[in-house]
Amino acid sequence: MPNWEVLVREKLGGGSLESEKLREVIAEFAGHLEETFEQLRRQGLSEEAAVERALSQVKNWQSLGRKIQKARMKEDVMTDRVKQVWLPGFLTLFLSLMLLMAIQFFGPQPVIVSTSGWRMTAPVAVIYVPWLLSLLLIGAIGVYLAGRAGASPRAMLLSILFPVLPYSVFFVIWIPVSLILDDHIGHNTMRSALLLGLVAWVVLPGVALLAGGLPVQIVKSRRASV
Amino acid sequence: MIAPGIKRGTAELAVLSVLEDGPLHGYEMARRIEEQTHGSLRFTLASLYPLLYKLEKRGWLRGAWETSATGRRRRCYRLTAEGKKKLAPIRREWAELFRALKQLTKVNHA
Repeated sequence: MPNWEVLVREKLGGGSLESEKLREVIAEFAGHLEETFEQLRRQGLSEEAAVERALSQVKNWQSLGRKIQKARMKEDVMTDRVKQVWLPGFLTLFLSLMLLMAIQFFGPQPVIVSTSGWRMTAPVAVIYVPWLLSLLLIGAIGVYLAGRAGASPRAMLLSILFPVLPYSVFFVIWIPVSLILDDHIGHNTMRSALLLGLVAWVVLPGVALLAGGLPVQIVKSRRASV
Repeated sequence: MIAPGIKRGTAELAVLSVLEDGPLHGYEMARRIEEQTHGSLRFTLASLYPLLYKLEKRGWLRGAWETSATGRRRRCYRLTAEGKKKLAPIRREWAELFRALKQLTKVNHA
């Protein structure tokens, strides 16, 4: 019996398919030819005749190669990860930033929460309630787009929470590092500012995004399992 | 045997229908279609895989490597929720076409 993978590789050539995809195609074709060959052998054909008949399924390997490239290359332009995570994530992040900007310019005054009880005393947390409400819709949009692209539950969750990731990095990494490196900052003040910032820019938006996105995710996964 | 030109149009319906019963790999899919149509529809490697990849790209099928009981690795295709949704309207379109052709043939023979 011939080495079908070697045979297919020779006939198909590399083309412009990336190596992992090409390996998959070759393995799949080789498996198909091998099973055809075995079936023909069971029917009583000689080895040589069975190989010839199996290979006769493809009249023009170059043309088949081109068709395969066409079918699989467009997929490469936008990979599953881009469709399922990055595209919904960046779109919802962009939407949330635009809405925040619009609300800051044209919206009502934000709610200001201070640890000392006196509004003008730092540290304070600035909470834009209309923005938090708009995040319900943005979370739903994120999970809808990710789900439509066939994302896993984990990728859908990531696409829901994507708009709070930059704030999380800022409050969880950037500010604590600044606190450690800069001696001139009053550490007591910064610690409460950090806590308030985390609540106002990470926890509350995260909860709003989840409240909007999770119901959509649950509906989507129920529909998929039907 | 059905002529290739006519077969091309029915290929999507044939593949989606045969996958409705459960996931199959390419060779098994071609064999089932041939068996169930008593040899009227035959898919070769060259006609089957470009179609499978096209349907996969559309999101109607999903292929995944699986190892069979005999230890062979095969790429199995299953219908996605979107593929299941598409099957019903395609079936309706073909049923309508067959009805129309039948009517037309009757008129011509009258």
